This record gives sequence, C-alpha cells and structure tokens, in this order.
Amino acid sequence: MEKGFSLIGKRVPRVDSLSRVTGEVQFAADLKLPRMLVGKIKRSSLAHARILHIDTSRAERLKGVKAVVTGQDTGGVKWGVFRYTQDMDFLPRDRVRYFGEEIAAVAAVDEETALEALDLIDVDLEELPAVYDPIEAMASEGPWIHEDYPNNVNVHVNIDVGDIEKGFKESSLIREDTFTAAEDDYFMGEPYAVVARFDDDGNLEIWMPNAGPHMKSKPLSNALQMPLHKVKVRKIAIGGAFGGRSEISPADYICALLSRKSGRPVKIVYTREENAVNVRMGHALITTIKTGVDREGKVLARDITCYMDGGAYSSTGPIATSVPFLCMEQAYRMENVRYNGYRIFTNKPIRGMIRMHGRSFACGIDLQLDMMGEELGIDPVTMRLRNARQAGEYTPTGSYVSSCGLTECIEKAALKSGWKEKYGNLPPWRGIGIGINSVQTGFPLGIRGGSQAIIKFNEDGGVTLISGVVDNGQGNDNMLVQVVAEELGLSMAEVMLITADTEVTPNDPGSYSMVTTFAGGNAARLAAVDARNKLFDIAAKALEANPRDLMLKDKKISVAGSPDRFIPLKKAVRMGLIQGMPVSGEGHYAPKVDHTREWVKNPKGQLSEAFSFGATIAEVEVNPETGMVKALEVTAAQDCGFALNPMLVEGQFEGSVAMGGQGGMLTEHHFWDGGRCLNPTQLEYKVPLACDMPRINNIIVESLDPAGPYGAKEAGMSIAMSAAQAYAAAISNAIGVTLTDFPMTPEKILKAIEEKNQGGR
Amino acid sequence: MSFAVNGEEVELYISPNRTLLEVLREELELTGTKESCGEGVCGSCTVLCDGVPLRSCLTLALEMEGREITTVEGLGEQGRPDPIQQSFIDHGAVQCGFCTPGMLMSVKGLLKRNPTPNEEEIRRGISGNICRCTGYAKIVEAVTAVTTGSGRNATGS
Repeated sequence: MEKGFSLIGKRVPRVDSLSRVTGEVQFAADLKLPRMLVGKIKRSSLAHARILHIDTSRAERLKGVKAVVTGQDTGGVKWGVFRYTQDMDFLPRDRVRYFGEEIAAVAAVDEETALEALDLIDVDLEELPAVYDPIEAMASEGPWIHEDYPNNVNVHVNIDVGDIEKGFKESSLIREDTFTAAEDDYFMGEPYAVVARFDDDGNLEIWMPNAGPHMKSKPLSNALQMPLHKVKVRKIAIGGAFGGRSEISPADYICALLSRKSGRPVKIVYTREENAVNVRMGHALITTIKTGVDREGKVLARDITCYMDGGAYSSTGPIATSVPFLCMEQAYRMENVRYNGYRIFTNKPIRGMIRMHGRSFACGIDLQLDMMGEELGIDPVTMRLRNARQAGEYTPTGSYVSSCGLTECIEKAALKSGWKEKYGNLPPWRGIGIGINSVQTGFPLGIRGGSQAIIKFNEDGGVTLISGVVDNGQGNDNMLVQVVAEELGLSMAEVMLITADTEVTPNDPGSYSMVTTFAGGNAARLAAVDARNKLFDIAAKALEANPRDLMLKDKKISVAGSPDRFIPLKKAVRMGLIQGMPVSGEGHYAPKVDHTREWVKNPKGQLSEAFSFGATIAEVEVNPETGMVKALEVTAAQDCGFALNPMLVEGQFEGSVAMGGQGGMLTEHHFWDGGRCLNPTQLEYKVPLACDMPRINNIIVESLDPAGPYGAKEAGMSIAMSAAQAYAAAISNAIGVTLTDFPMTPEKILKAIEEKNQGGR
Repeated sequence: MSFAVNGEEVELYISPNRTLLEVLREELELTGTKESCGEGVCGSCTVLCDGVPLRSCLTLALEMEGREITTVEGLGEQGRPDPIQQSFIDHGAVQCGFCTPGMLMSVKGLLKRNPTPNEEEIRRGISGNICRCTGYAKIVEAVTAVTTGSGRNATGS
C-alpha cells in the first residue's frame, strides 16, 4: 500500500459534525417555507377492503383546508422497484391491502385543521377476507391479494448449483432444522418527513430523507407525469436509513400532489406510528435448512427453503428474497446447494430491505453448524475456518471473490476474545458464540449502477466537488472530502461539497447497496486525479519539468526529489484561468458486475465487484430465573478492504453490534393482532440503550481490495449480521439449548430452560 | 407567558395545549431540539429547565412560566463550541446527528449533577436518550474524555 497519506487512513473528525452538535443542521421536518401548509394522510381502517366511495366535500368546506386529494387526483401510475413488480398505487382508487394504507390526504393551514379535515372525509369500505400468515396465504385458493400472483406468491427465487443429492449421499452427518424470526424495524431517529413546493417555472422542489436522490426523482416524475428534469430532489440532512428509505414513499408523491393542487408548499411529518407501519419494516422469515457435512465438518450439501412474509406489496421483493442466501453463499463455501426462497403477500404493512435482513436465515446456518460440530466433536471456530470463503474463489452463483480476509477475521476475533480458554470452560449460564457473514458492495443496478463526480477549482485554490452520493448519517460526505483533499493536497476545510441534489449532481447508485465508498469514492478520487493531471500540465511548463515527475502536497506542486522547485497550487489554478485552460476534473466509476444477472430470472454471474466479510464473537450471561441476557463482551472483526477512517469504521461496527446483536437478537420484534401492528412506537419496540451495551472490541482487517478506492469496500454491515449470529450462538451455548425462534426474549429462554430441565428436548 | 430561553427573556401568547417542544420549534424557530418518538421515550427533545434535563415533548409550555430553558442552541458560543460539543466531534460520537442535541443536553445535565461520572454513571445518565447509529461507545468515550481531561487531538492519534 502506498504510504505517506495525509488524511486517508487517519482518524480525522467528520466535516459535518459541527453543524450537528450545534443543532444548526436542518432535517426535512425543520424546514419552514413561506405560506407552507401542513399535510396529513387519511389511512385505511381495514386490512383488506374494496373502496366503494370517498366523499371529501365536508373536508373541503372546512375553513383552512386548501387541498384534498384521493386516488381520483392521480394519473393511476403504479409503482414498483422493477418493471415486473409494479403493483402499488400511492393513492389507491379501488382497493386497500393493509391496515393503514393511504386513502386520501389534506393540506391545511395548521395541524389541528388538517386532522379535523381527515375526520370529515367519509370513506365507504367493503371489507374483504384478509390473510396475515404467509403459509395460510400460500395455501389460499383465492381470491388472492393481487390477482396476478397465484397463491399469493410474490417472488420465487430458485438457485440450484452442483449436485445436492450426491452431496447428501457422501455426507457422514445430516441435519434439518427450521428457524423463525418476527419482523424487525429500523426505528431511525428521524421520523419520515417531506417538504414539497413548485417554483414559478413549474418545477417541483422536494426534500425528504433518502438513500439515493435519483431513486426518488425518477419514480416521482413518472407518477406526477412530468419531465425528470423538472423534479428536483434537494439535499437535506438525513437521520438514518439502515436499509430503508431507498424507495419512493407514498408521502413523497402525496406531498407533491397536495402542493400542486393548493399552489403552496406543503410539509408532511410522519408520526412515530406512521414511521413504523407506513414506510418499510423487516420481513418475518421461516427458514428450513438441511445440511450434510463430512467427518471433518466440511459442508458437502445444503438445501434451504425460506418463506418470507412480504406484506401487501412487492417493494424490493426480488432483492429481499435473494440477499439472505447470497450473504451466506459468499461467507461459506457450498459446492452443492439448492435454495428456494418465496416471498408471500399478506395483508400486513410492506416489508423491505433492512440492515440485518434475514436474521433467522443467517443465525440458522450458524446455529446448525454449531450443533453439527458438537456431534462431531469440532469446536465452532474450527467449523467456520474449515468452511470459510477464501480470496480467488467463485461463489456458487458465479461471483469471483477478489479479496477476502474472512479467515483472518475469525482467527483475530478468536484470539482477542479468548475463545480457546473460554469455550467449554465458562461458569454455568455463561456462553460464548461466533457468527460469520459477508455483505455485497453493490448490486447490478443497470444504468444507475455507476457514480460520477465533477471537481471545480475556485480561484483561491479551493475546490467544489459535485457528486450524487448521499449521506444517511454514516459519513459519506466526509469520505468524499477526505478523498478529494488527500488527492489534491488540500485541507479538508478547502473542499466544498454539492451532493445529493438531482438537479445539479450526476448519477449515483445511492447508499442502500453498500456501494457508496466503492463507487462514489472511486469516482471522487478519479475526478481529483483528473484535475491534478491538468494542474500538473500547467505547472510542468512553469517548472520546466515533466508532468510525471510532479507531486502535489500541502498546496504545493513540486518536482519529486527537488522540494525547492515548486509553485503554489493556487498559482497553478490562476495560471490555468489566464491561459484559457481552467482546471476541472471528472471521474466516474461503474462497478464491474454482470449486467445480465437478474434476481429471479437469471441469478448467476458477478453480483458485486467486492464483498466484505465479518466475524463476531459474543460472550453473554443468562439469568436462569428471569431469562434476561446480559451481553458481557463482543469482539467484532471485519474485512472492510481498507479503513479510510478507522474512527468512522469503528462507529459502524459499534452501531452494528447494537442493532444487529443486542437489539436484533434480544428485544426487537413487532407483534400483531391480525393485520394491526401492536408496537409501532418506541415505547413498545425496544431498541438498545447505553446501559444495555457490552464492551466492544473492534478489529479492522484490511485485505486491500484491488478495485476499491485505496482498497476499501463495504464497512460495518457484515458486523450487523454476524453480531446477530454470535448473540444467538452465545445464548444457546449459555443455556445448553439451541433456540430457533428470534429474537431470543426472556419468555422463550425461560421456556427452553424449563423444557430442558424436564428432559423435553 | 414569559420565560427565558438561552439567556434571553421571551414573552409569548400561546394556546394552553402547546407543548414546550412545539413552542421552541415553531414559535421561536429553535429547530435544534428534535421530535422523534413524541411520547417521552427517546430523549431527542431533551432541554434543560433550570439546569435539569426535561422532555420538552411531554411538557406544556405554560408550565415553564418564569423558568430558564437551555436548548442545544444555547450551548457554547458562536465559533466556540462547548467542550462537550467539541468532544463529540473529535471522538466520532455523531453519526446522523438527529439524537445529538438531546444527547448533549442530557450530558450537560449529568455533568451538572456529577462532574466526574464513571463509565457506568455516564451510561445510566444517557440511557434516556436513544441513539440508533453509534451503539453509544463513542458517545461514552466523548463524555469520558471531557470529564477526565483526556481529550485527544483526534487527528493522527
């Protein structure tokens, strides 16, 4: 690795933190525009119903109401992430499919008036039979939730590689187990909020949390039936995404519609309940895994069937149905493997991608390996080392893995956690467990797969970077600044950003496929290199040197080896202006993926140019009287390629342990009464607090990916997932029973201990 | 009603059902204080009332008659952040930043009660504030650095 970086690889504080600690930064709900109205949405009181009639006349007559919209105000354009999944109306005209679905909306001068107007909208619904369980939904002979999806099967992904029958025949031990998990949820700090207005030229300006502004503008232009260039998604601070916020939200469309109809700016801020029920949540999963291993614990065959409760619409269904399997086929060698994933429609809120999507899947794979290892007398760490992915291999579905530090992650985590001394030797009710996982650095996203960046030099020698990259809170803006400042020998304060604005900034794949550093970082770096080359051409003439011999550091362009022969960067920029050669830079990067790969129709080929790998070890103590789990220590090791900023990478690890392990395995789940979510608020959906969290050891493993910027790839997410697996394994180790239903709440733990004591299991 | 906000006397006519949070954000345009859960669970709306942390979303503004309120905008001075703000920046304790204002106010309240909290006391002191991004580790580090005077020069350490 190239040495002598000034900023890359350093623990530099984020450039955007000051405005956050002072409270000056604005999130969408903080915006206030002249004559702005308050928007509110009328929602379905039934889980499945035909809309017979909507009467808005009383609401329209209420003083202070400026616009009311229903499905009749829409162009009837349906939304779907894929061309073949366009099944959702932002404001349905004839049918609602889940409790809380949008039916109508109002814009009024204040919140009280808007809420009063909602009550004055008369909605006549005819209740239809509803189904809330995916297995029942599949067995249904109709009518189905969407007529064109027989048996309510929304997506079926089938992958069959090698010869599993032969693999099972050669196995010396075979197990089949089923693992289940309830829905989990993002609970971002910031509730969803959107502000829309039309300018004097009929352009829509809109602000909302997003994981890719271009992913919002195109569907909005389709639904509003206006040209793409007239839809301007503006940059705004974003209070977390965690896999959500990638899709267009009905609120975005409704807010724009209300603004168009009223001729005034409109703001919609979701209640906490709406933010749970009417955005996305994680899928509930039922996963059956059959695995055959040889005497050494090497996996010879695997057959996996997974049913996912998808809720009422497709959303990111094809991706969601695939990713849990793909993560596991990346992390573990599997020569003979069959996967059948089914996403099923039910009359429940819509499910999407989430940071630890597929927890019953990944935890199932790892818990089963532990059980088989125990039968064979092989310790969990050894089981993993024997099956761990290595660099230079292909995954079963044909992705080449160019960099992989998984073995190093496992070994370092085992050493740091004291695995050897602890495993099998801990006092009663203490347990230790390991999980491993792998996450993609991007997906094939067609024309939106690449990122482009433009650099403009200002006459004082500072630069402005224009990039489509969006920051949801993870530090993407800072990453861009660090990269550009490094390449151009500037301080971070001299790099200005224009990002995440669809009017000004070029194409970018968004942050939700974990590709931002890889694609956006590479593009920014290449733009900086392009600008630097132009500066060197100018400086070479002035210094009578070869441009190739020049270097740029601390705002000086000098001849390598002769530090006295230099001109200030600012001077070169100004010379460029005088000579009619103004300095700018352009860079773009499109990850090398197989564009013929398709989630359902053709799940083979290069999925992602790079993959991250993680191993987490958790040590817990279970109170056998209460079933409560105390996490004592978590060791998180991830191969993130190269840590551009170790402090920020650690922050990703620590947040991942909280959401994936501590919350994901112990407390976080939704519970239901039919189609009604009973815990849509933070009072009842329990996320980890500071007092709950264990000590966390961070281990950054750097495999230096050949294509990543400075070797970097995805950072943090393979910790979120492997932390869940580690917690599950540690609790099972502590109580001597393998729990198969997640999260592992005190009631489930007590029941398992009781059954074990009665010899029931 | 009249009360003091960040050291300035404020006089307002408000309806009795307005919460302190609404009055701060909408009337006074102090949007640093956030609403996240709206039911007193998450701590994003925390302000100091006579130096004591208070959930502004559960507090009727009229109850604040004659009181002294401090919001995140009242921390530090223009161009000179409070040491705890600076420590949050230096230690990477800020990710998305939505919980940060409330978190800072709880820390201020904690340090007023107990200027030298140990790690457990810090964790308990901020357990009324939910952060979904950081896992709290860097926040605890940031507070510890201020209370022990071990604030590091973040660059290159």
